[in-house]
Amino acid sequence: MADSNSLTDAEIMLKVAGYDSKALEQLYDRYAPILYTLIKKIVTDKDTAEEILSEVFVTVWRQIDQFDFKTNNVYTWLITLARNKAIDVLNRNNGKLLPEYTEDYEREHIIPKLSPEIEALELADVLNKKDKIEKALGSLTDAQKYVLELSYYGGMDQGEIAGKLNIPTMTVKSKLQVAFGNLMQKVSEAK
Amino acid sequence: MDKKKSLDLIKLEVLGCLSDKDKENLQAMKAEGEEFPWRVLGDYQNLIANLPLALELKYPASDLKDKTAMKLYNIRDQIKAKVDAKKAQQVPVQLVEEISESVETIEVQEKFEENIITEQVEVEEKVFAEVGEGIHFNVNDSNLSKEEPFKFVSNFKEKSEPENLFRQKADIETKESLKAVVDKEVVEKITRDYIKSHLEREIESLGKSVKNNRLLSFILFVISLILILALYFIR
Repeated sequence: MADSNSLTDAEIMLKVAGYDSKALEQLYDRYAPILYTLIKKIVTDKDTAEEILSEVFVTVWRQIDQFDFKTNNVYTWLITLARNKAIDVLNRNNGKLLPEYTEDYEREHIIPKLSPEIEALELADVLNKKDKIEKALGSLTDAQKYVLELSYYGGMDQGEIAGKLNIPTMTVKSKLQVAFGNLMQKVSEAK
Repeated sequence: MDKKKSLDLIKLEVLGCLSDKDKENLQAMKAEGEEFPWRVLGDYQNLIANLPLALELKYPASDLKDKTAMKLYNIRDQIKAKVDAKKAQQVPVQLVEEISESVETIEVQEKFEENIITEQVEVEEKVFAEVGEGIHFNVNDSNLSKEEPFKFVSNFKEKSEPENLFRQKADIETKESLKAVVDKEVVEKITRDYIKSHLEREIESLGKSVKNNRLLSFILFVISLILILALYFIR
Protein backbone atom coordinates (compact mmCIF):
# COMPACT_ATOMS: atom_id res chain seq x y z
CA MET A 1 0.00 0.00 0.00
CA ALA A 2 1.25 3.45 -0.91
CA ASP A 3 2.20 5.83 1.88
CA SER A 4 -0.64 8.32 2.28
CA ASN A 5 1.84 11.22 2.36
CA SER A 6 3.19 10.18 -1.02
CA LEU A 7 -0.19 10.72 -2.66
CA THR A 8 -0.45 13.69 -4.98
CA ASP A 9 -3.07 16.38 -4.39
CA ALA A 10 -4.97 15.08 -7.40
CA GLU A 11 -4.96 11.53 -6.01
CA ILE A 12 -6.29 12.80 -2.69
CA MET A 13 -9.02 14.74 -4.49
CA LEU A 14 -10.01 11.60 -6.33
CA LYS A 15 -10.43 9.84 -2.99
CA VAL A 16 -12.40 12.79 -1.64
CA ALA A 17 -14.68 12.43 -4.66
CA GLY A 18 -15.44 8.95 -3.33
CA TYR A 19 -16.36 10.54 0.03
CA ASP A 20 -13.28 9.17 1.74
CA SER A 21 -13.14 11.20 4.96
CA LYS A 22 -9.52 10.23 5.62
CA ALA A 23 -8.58 11.75 2.28
CA LEU A 24 -10.35 14.99 3.23
CA GLU A 25 -8.43 14.98 6.50
CA GLN A 26 -5.20 14.61 4.53
CA LEU A 27 -6.23 17.47 2.29
CA TYR A 28 -6.94 19.57 5.39
CA ASP A 29 -3.56 18.78 6.92
CA ARG A 30 -1.84 19.72 3.70
CA TYR A 31 -3.75 22.87 2.78
CA ALA A 32 -5.10 24.35 6.03
CA PRO A 33 -2.05 26.61 6.73
CA ILE A 34 -1.86 28.25 3.27
CA LEU A 35 -5.64 28.64 3.03
CA TYR A 36 -5.88 30.01 6.55
CA THR A 37 -3.07 32.49 5.83
CA LEU A 38 -4.93 33.77 2.76
CA ILE A 39 -8.31 33.94 4.52
CA LYS A 40 -6.83 35.70 7.57
CA LYS A 41 -5.24 38.28 5.29
CA ILE A 42 -8.67 39.02 3.79
CA VAL A 43 -10.95 39.03 6.87
CA THR A 44 -8.28 39.73 9.56
CA ASP A 45 -10.46 38.41 12.43
CA LYS A 46 -9.12 35.07 13.70
CA ASP A 47 -12.47 33.45 14.57
CA THR A 48 -14.05 34.52 11.29
CA ALA A 49 -11.03 33.22 9.39
CA GLU A 50 -11.27 29.85 11.14
CA GLU A 51 -14.99 29.66 10.48
CA ILE A 52 -14.40 30.37 6.78
CA LEU A 53 -11.59 27.81 6.58
CA SER A 54 -13.87 25.22 8.10
CA GLU A 55 -16.60 26.15 5.61
CA VAL A 56 -14.16 25.82 2.73
CA PHE A 57 -13.61 22.15 3.56
CA VAL A 58 -17.33 21.57 4.04
CA THR A 59 -17.83 23.10 0.58
CA VAL A 60 -15.14 20.84 -0.89
CA TRP A 61 -16.98 17.86 0.62
CA ARG A 62 -20.36 18.99 -0.69
CA GLN A 63 -19.28 20.29 -4.08
CA ILE A 64 -16.51 17.86 -4.99
CA ASP A 65 -18.38 17.02 -8.20
CA GLN A 66 -17.65 20.59 -9.35
CA PHE A 67 -13.91 19.93 -9.35
CA ASP A 68 -12.50 19.43 -12.83
CA PHE A 69 -10.61 16.13 -12.80
CA LYS A 70 -9.48 16.75 -16.37
CA THR A 71 -7.28 19.72 -15.49
CA ASN A 72 -6.62 18.44 -11.94
CA ASN A 73 -5.45 21.82 -10.63
CA VAL A 74 -6.06 21.26 -6.92
CA TYR A 75 -3.92 24.13 -5.68
CA THR A 76 -5.48 26.94 -7.73
CA TRP A 77 -8.97 25.51 -7.23
CA LEU A 78 -8.65 25.49 -3.44
CA ILE A 79 -6.93 28.88 -3.23
CA THR A 80 -9.57 30.48 -5.47
CA LEU A 81 -12.37 28.80 -3.53
CA ALA A 82 -10.99 30.05 -0.20
CA ARG A 83 -10.48 33.55 -1.58
CA ASN A 84 -14.01 33.69 -3.05
CA LYS A 85 -15.50 32.56 0.27
CA ALA A 86 -13.51 35.03 2.30
CA ILE A 87 -14.30 37.94 -0.05
CA ASP A 88 -18.00 37.01 0.08
CA VAL A 89 -18.00 37.07 3.90
CA LEU A 90 -16.02 40.33 3.91
CA ASN A 91 -18.47 41.99 1.52
CA ARG A 92 -21.50 40.81 3.51
CA ASN A 93 -19.91 41.98 6.78
CA ASN A 94 -19.23 45.35 5.18
CA GLY A 95 -22.92 45.67 4.35
CA LYS A 96 -22.68 45.04 0.63
CA LEU A 97 -26.03 43.93 -0.81
CA LEU A 98 -25.56 40.42 -2.16
CA PRO A 99 -28.04 37.69 -3.08
CA GLU A 100 -28.91 35.08 -0.46
CA TYR A 101 -26.21 32.44 -0.04
CA THR A 102 -27.79 29.37 -1.61
CA GLU A 103 -26.34 26.32 -3.33
CA ASP A 104 -26.98 27.94 -6.72
CA TYR A 105 -25.28 31.14 -5.58
CA GLU A 106 -22.35 29.10 -4.33
CA ARG A 107 -21.99 27.32 -7.65
CA GLU A 108 -22.26 30.56 -9.58
CA HIS A 109 -20.07 32.87 -7.50
CA ILE A 110 -17.96 30.84 -5.06
CA ILE A 111 -16.94 27.65 -6.85
CA PRO A 112 -13.95 28.51 -9.09
CA LYS A 113 -14.35 28.39 -12.84
CA LEU A 114 -10.86 27.59 -13.99
CA SER A 115 -9.77 27.62 -17.60
CA PRO A 116 -10.09 24.24 -19.32
CA GLU A 117 -6.49 24.72 -20.51
CA ILE A 118 -4.95 25.54 -17.14
CA GLU A 119 -1.71 23.85 -16.11
CA ALA A 120 -2.10 21.59 -13.06
CA LEU A 121 -0.46 22.83 -9.85
CA GLU A 122 0.29 20.91 -6.67
CA LEU A 123 1.06 22.54 -3.33
CA ALA A 124 4.46 20.86 -3.05
CA ASP A 125 5.56 22.35 -6.39
CA VAL A 126 4.11 25.78 -5.67
CA LEU A 127 5.93 26.09 -2.33
CA ASN A 128 9.20 25.84 -4.21
CA LYS A 129 8.25 29.01 -6.12
CA LYS A 130 7.89 31.12 -2.95
CA ASP A 131 11.16 33.03 -3.51
CA LYS A 132 10.36 33.76 -7.15
CA ILE A 133 6.94 35.16 -6.28
CA GLU A 134 8.36 37.34 -3.48
CA LYS A 135 11.04 38.61 -5.84
CA ALA A 136 8.54 39.35 -8.62
CA LEU A 137 6.23 41.18 -6.20
CA GLY A 138 9.20 43.15 -4.86
CA SER A 139 9.95 44.43 -8.34
CA LEU A 140 6.54 46.16 -8.63
CA THR A 141 6.10 49.82 -7.67
CA ASP A 142 4.33 50.57 -4.38
CA ALA A 143 1.31 51.94 -6.28
CA GLN A 144 1.07 48.77 -8.37
CA LYS A 145 1.38 46.58 -5.28
CA TYR A 146 -1.27 48.62 -3.51
CA VAL A 147 -3.89 48.36 -6.25
CA LEU A 148 -3.20 44.66 -6.57
CA GLU A 149 -3.64 44.23 -2.84
CA LEU A 150 -6.86 46.25 -2.74
CA SER A 151 -8.23 44.15 -5.54
CA TYR A 152 -7.07 40.66 -4.54
CA TYR A 153 -7.18 40.81 -0.75
CA GLY A 154 -9.66 43.69 -0.38
CA GLY A 155 -12.17 42.30 -2.88
CA MET A 156 -12.71 45.79 -4.27
CA ASP A 157 -13.91 46.40 -7.80
CA GLN A 158 -12.57 49.18 -10.05
CA GLY A 159 -15.07 51.75 -8.82
CA GLU A 160 -14.36 51.07 -5.15
CA ILE A 161 -10.61 51.32 -5.67
CA ALA A 162 -11.10 54.53 -7.66
CA GLY A 163 -13.21 55.95 -4.81
CA LYS A 164 -10.67 54.96 -2.17
CA LEU A 165 -7.70 56.37 -4.09
CA ASN A 166 -9.67 59.28 -5.50
CA ILE A 167 -8.58 58.57 -9.04
CA PRO A 168 -10.57 57.84 -12.24
CA THR A 169 -11.83 54.30 -12.82
CA MET A 170 -9.95 54.09 -16.11
CA THR A 171 -6.70 54.82 -14.29
CA VAL A 172 -7.42 52.02 -11.80
CA LYS A 173 -8.13 49.68 -14.67
CA SER A 174 -4.89 50.47 -16.46
CA LYS A 175 -2.84 50.33 -13.23
CA LEU A 176 -4.24 46.88 -12.42
CA GLN A 177 -3.56 45.62 -15.92
CA VAL A 178 -0.01 46.98 -15.97
CA ALA A 179 0.74 45.67 -12.47
CA PHE A 180 -0.56 42.21 -13.29
CA GLY A 181 1.23 42.17 -16.65
CA ASN A 182 4.53 43.13 -14.98
CA LEU A 183 4.09 40.45 -12.34
CA MET A 184 3.54 37.81 -15.00
CA GLN A 185 6.61 39.01 -16.87
CA LYS A 186 8.81 38.93 -13.75
CA VAL A 187 7.64 35.45 -12.77
CA SER A 188 8.22 34.20 -16.32
CA GLU A 189 11.71 35.71 -16.34
CA ALA A 190 12.52 34.05 -13.03
CA LYS A 191 11.69 30.57 -14.44
CA MET B 1 -11.67 39.00 -31.61
CA ASP B 2 -9.56 41.85 -30.21
CA LYS B 3 -6.74 39.90 -28.56
CA LYS B 4 -5.39 42.83 -26.53
CA LYS B 5 -8.85 43.63 -25.21
CA SER B 6 -9.46 40.04 -24.23
CA LEU B 7 -6.10 39.86 -22.41
CA ASP B 8 -6.88 43.06 -20.50
CA LEU B 9 -10.28 41.73 -19.49
CA ILE B 10 -8.76 38.39 -18.44
CA LYS B 11 -6.43 40.18 -16.01
CA LEU B 12 -9.34 42.04 -14.43
CA GLU B 13 -11.52 38.93 -14.29
CA VAL B 14 -8.82 36.94 -12.51
CA LEU B 15 -8.53 39.71 -9.94
CA GLY B 16 -12.30 39.65 -9.58
CA CYS B 17 -12.83 43.31 -10.37
CA LEU B 18 -14.63 43.37 -13.71
CA SER B 19 -17.45 45.84 -14.16
CA ASP B 20 -20.83 44.41 -15.25
CA LYS B 21 -20.31 45.69 -18.81
CA ASP B 22 -16.83 44.14 -19.03
CA LYS B 23 -18.21 40.87 -17.64
CA GLU B 24 -20.71 40.75 -20.51
CA ASN B 25 -18.00 41.52 -23.07
CA LEU B 26 -15.71 38.81 -21.72
CA GLN B 27 -18.56 36.32 -21.61
CA ALA B 28 -19.31 37.06 -25.27
CA MET B 29 -15.63 36.54 -26.15
CA LYS B 30 -15.59 33.18 -24.35
CA ALA B 31 -18.75 32.16 -26.14
CA GLU B 32 -17.10 32.91 -29.50
CA GLY B 33 -14.99 29.84 -28.74
CA GLU B 34 -11.80 28.72 -30.42
CA GLU B 35 -9.95 32.04 -30.60
CA PHE B 36 -10.34 32.79 -26.89
CA PRO B 37 -6.94 32.57 -25.14
CA TRP B 38 -7.90 29.88 -22.62
CA ARG B 39 -4.26 29.04 -21.97
CA VAL B 40 -3.48 32.64 -21.02
CA LEU B 41 -6.51 32.72 -18.73
CA GLY B 42 -5.19 29.57 -17.05
CA ASP B 43 -1.72 31.10 -16.65
CA TYR B 44 -3.15 34.22 -15.00
CA GLN B 45 -5.37 32.14 -12.71
CA ASN B 46 -2.32 30.19 -11.58
CA LEU B 47 -0.27 33.38 -11.16
CA ILE B 48 -2.83 35.10 -8.95
CA ALA B 49 -3.19 31.93 -6.86
CA ASN B 50 0.55 32.14 -6.16
CA LEU B 51 0.25 35.55 -4.45
CA PRO B 52 -0.49 34.12 -0.95
CA LEU B 53 2.94 32.45 -1.05
CA ALA B 54 4.44 35.86 -0.28
CA LEU B 55 2.49 36.04 3.00
CA GLU B 56 3.86 34.90 6.32
CA LEU B 57 2.38 31.48 7.01
CA LYS B 58 -0.20 31.33 9.83
CA TYR B 59 -1.83 28.27 11.40
CA PRO B 60 -5.43 27.77 12.49
CA ALA B 61 -6.34 26.49 15.99
CA SER B 62 -5.63 22.80 16.39
CA ASP B 63 -9.23 22.02 17.37
CA LEU B 64 -10.55 23.46 14.10
CA LYS B 65 -10.11 20.10 12.39
CA ASP B 66 -12.44 18.47 14.93
CA LYS B 67 -14.98 21.27 14.50
CA THR B 68 -14.82 20.78 10.73
CA ALA B 69 -15.26 17.02 11.20
CA MET B 70 -18.35 17.73 13.32
CA LYS B 71 -19.76 19.96 10.55
CA LEU B 72 -19.18 17.21 8.03
CA TYR B 73 -20.91 14.74 10.35
CA ASN B 74 -23.90 17.06 10.56
CA ILE B 75 -24.31 17.14 6.79
CA ARG B 76 -24.01 13.35 6.40
CA ASP B 77 -27.71 13.06 5.48
CA GLN B 78 -27.26 15.69 2.78
CA ILE B 79 -24.27 13.80 1.36
CA LYS B 80 -26.12 10.48 1.59
CA ALA B 81 -29.05 12.01 -0.28
CA LYS B 82 -26.64 13.27 -2.93
CA VAL B 83 -25.01 9.84 -3.31
CA ASP B 84 -28.44 8.17 -3.44
CA ALA B 85 -29.60 10.65 -6.07
CA LYS B 86 -26.51 9.85 -8.13
CA LYS B 87 -27.20 6.13 -7.78
CA ALA B 88 -30.84 6.68 -8.71
CA GLN B 89 -29.72 8.50 -11.85
CA GLN B 90 -27.55 5.55 -12.75
CA VAL B 91 -30.26 2.93 -12.05
CA PRO B 92 -32.71 4.05 -14.79
CA VAL B 93 -29.88 3.84 -17.31
CA GLN B 94 -29.12 0.30 -16.15
CA LEU B 95 -32.84 -0.52 -16.23
CA VAL B 96 -33.17 0.72 -19.80
CA GLU B 97 -30.17 -1.43 -20.76
CA GLU B 98 -31.65 -4.46 -18.98
CA ILE B 99 -35.07 -3.89 -20.57
CA SER B 100 -33.55 -3.59 -24.04
CA GLU B 101 -31.54 -6.75 -23.36
CA SER B 102 -34.64 -8.63 -22.21
CA VAL B 103 -36.59 -7.32 -25.22
CA GLU B 104 -33.82 -8.68 -27.43
CA THR B 105 -33.94 -11.99 -25.57
CA ILE B 106 -37.71 -12.16 -25.98
CA GLU B 107 -37.36 -11.36 -29.67
CA VAL B 108 -34.78 -14.12 -30.06
CA GLN B 109 -37.01 -16.54 -28.14
CA GLU B 110 -40.01 -15.53 -30.23
CA LYS B 111 -38.02 -16.03 -33.43
CA PHE B 112 -36.77 -19.37 -32.12
CA GLU B 113 -40.30 -20.49 -31.24
CA GLU B 114 -41.57 -19.18 -34.57
CA ASN B 115 -38.89 -21.21 -36.31
CA ILE B 116 -39.88 -24.36 -34.42
CA ILE B 117 -43.55 -23.80 -35.25
CA THR B 118 -42.62 -23.07 -38.86
CA GLU B 119 -40.57 -26.24 -38.99
CA GLN B 120 -43.42 -28.27 -37.46
CA VAL B 121 -45.91 -26.78 -39.89
CA GLU B 122 -43.43 -27.42 -42.67
CA VAL B 123 -43.05 -31.05 -41.63
CA GLU B 124 -46.82 -31.40 -41.38
CA GLU B 125 -47.24 -29.80 -44.78
CA LYS B 126 -44.59 -32.12 -46.19
CA VAL B 127 -46.30 -35.18 -44.72
CA PHE B 128 -49.58 -33.88 -46.01
CA ALA B 129 -48.02 -33.31 -49.40
CA GLU B 130 -46.52 -36.79 -49.40
CA VAL B 131 -49.89 -38.22 -48.50
CA GLY B 132 -51.35 -36.11 -51.29
CA GLU B 133 -48.70 -37.43 -53.58
CA GLY B 134 -49.62 -40.94 -52.54
CA ILE B 135 -53.29 -40.29 -53.17
CA HIS B 136 -52.37 -38.79 -56.47
CA PHE B 137 -50.56 -41.94 -57.51
CA ASN B 138 -53.18 -44.25 -56.07
CA VAL B 139 -56.22 -42.60 -57.52
CA ASN B 140 -54.41 -41.52 -60.63
CA ASP B 141 -56.07 -38.09 -60.54
CA SER B 142 -55.27 -36.23 -63.73
CA ASN B 143 -55.97 -32.81 -62.14
CA LEU B 144 -53.13 -33.24 -59.68
CA SER B 145 -49.75 -33.21 -61.27
CA LYS B 146 -46.97 -35.22 -59.69
CA GLU B 147 -45.09 -32.11 -58.60
CA GLU B 148 -47.98 -30.09 -57.24
CA PRO B 149 -47.86 -31.10 -53.60
CA PHE B 150 -44.09 -30.50 -53.50
CA LYS B 151 -44.56 -27.22 -55.20
CA PHE B 152 -46.82 -26.17 -52.36
CA VAL B 153 -44.29 -27.29 -49.80
CA SER B 154 -41.59 -25.60 -51.79
CA ASN B 155 -43.48 -22.29 -51.76
CA PHE B 156 -43.99 -22.59 -48.06
CA LYS B 157 -40.32 -23.25 -47.60
CA GLU B 158 -39.42 -20.26 -49.69
CA LYS B 159 -41.41 -17.98 -47.41
CA SER B 160 -39.94 -19.55 -44.32
CA GLU B 161 -36.41 -19.63 -45.66
CA PRO B 162 -33.88 -19.02 -42.85
CA GLU B 163 -32.96 -15.33 -42.82
CA ASN B 164 -30.42 -15.29 -40.08
CA LEU B 165 -28.25 -17.40 -37.87
CA PHE B 166 -30.94 -17.78 -35.25
CA ARG B 167 -33.29 -19.25 -37.80
CA GLN B 168 -30.59 -21.56 -39.11
CA LYS B 169 -29.78 -22.60 -35.58
CA ALA B 170 -33.45 -23.24 -34.89
CA ASP B 171 -33.70 -25.37 -38.05
CA ILE B 172 -30.69 -27.43 -37.07
CA GLU B 173 -31.87 -27.86 -33.49
CA THR B 174 -35.40 -28.88 -34.56
CA LYS B 175 -34.02 -31.38 -37.06
CA GLU B 176 -31.67 -32.74 -34.43
CA SER B 177 -34.46 -33.11 -31.89
CA LEU B 178 -36.65 -34.90 -34.44
CA LYS B 179 -33.74 -37.16 -35.33
CA ALA B 180 -33.15 -37.86 -31.65
CA VAL B 181 -36.81 -38.87 -31.17
CA VAL B 182 -36.62 -41.22 -34.17
CA ASP B 183 -33.31 -42.71 -32.98
CA LYS B 184 -34.76 -43.33 -29.52
CA GLU B 185 -37.76 -45.15 -30.96
CA VAL B 186 -35.53 -47.31 -33.17
CA VAL B 187 -33.27 -48.23 -30.25
CA GLU B 188 -36.29 -49.16 -28.12
CA LYS B 189 -37.67 -51.31 -30.91
CA ILE B 190 -34.33 -53.08 -31.45
CA THR B 191 -34.04 -53.72 -27.71
CA ARG B 192 -37.54 -55.14 -27.54
CA ASP B 193 -36.86 -57.40 -30.57
CA TYR B 194 -33.56 -58.61 -29.11
CA ILE B 195 -35.21 -59.46 -25.78
CA LYS B 196 -38.01 -61.23 -27.60
CA SER B 197 -35.75 -63.31 -29.86
CA HIS B 198 -32.96 -64.24 -27.43
CA LEU B 199 -33.85 -63.83 -23.80
CA GLU B 200 -37.46 -65.04 -23.83
CA ARG B 201 -36.39 -68.65 -24.65
CA GLU B 202 -33.78 -68.63 -21.95
CA ILE B 203 -36.24 -67.32 -19.40
CA GLU B 204 -38.74 -69.96 -20.49
CA SER B 205 -36.18 -72.77 -20.17
CA LEU B 206 -35.01 -71.40 -16.85
CA GLY B 207 -38.60 -71.48 -15.57
CA LYS B 208 -38.99 -75.09 -16.75
CA SER B 209 -35.78 -76.22 -15.06
CA VAL B 210 -36.85 -74.57 -11.81
CA LYS B 211 -40.12 -76.50 -11.99
CA ASN B 212 -38.25 -79.83 -12.61
CA ASN B 213 -35.84 -79.15 -9.79
CA ARG B 214 -38.70 -78.53 -7.39
CA LEU B 215 -40.32 -81.86 -8.35
CA LEU B 216 -37.02 -83.72 -7.98
CA SER B 217 -36.42 -82.21 -4.56
CA PHE B 218 -39.89 -83.27 -3.44
CA ILE B 219 -39.32 -86.87 -4.64
CA LEU B 220 -35.97 -87.07 -2.86
CA PHE B 221 -37.57 -85.74 0.30
CA VAL B 222 -40.29 -88.45 0.17
CA ILE B 223 -37.72 -91.23 -0.43
CA SER B 224 -35.64 -90.01 2.49
CA LEU B 225 -38.70 -89.98 4.72
CA ILE B 226 -39.60 -93.60 3.70
CA LEU B 227 -36.04 -94.75 4.41
CA ILE B 228 -36.06 -93.19 7.86
CA LEU B 229 -39.38 -94.85 8.69
CA ALA B 230 -38.15 -98.26 7.43
CA LEU B 231 -35.04 -98.04 9.63
CA TYR B 232 -37.17 -97.16 12.63
CA PHE B 233 -39.47 -100.20 12.19
CA ILE B 234 -36.58 -102.66 11.51
CA ARG B 235 -35.06 -101.79 14.87
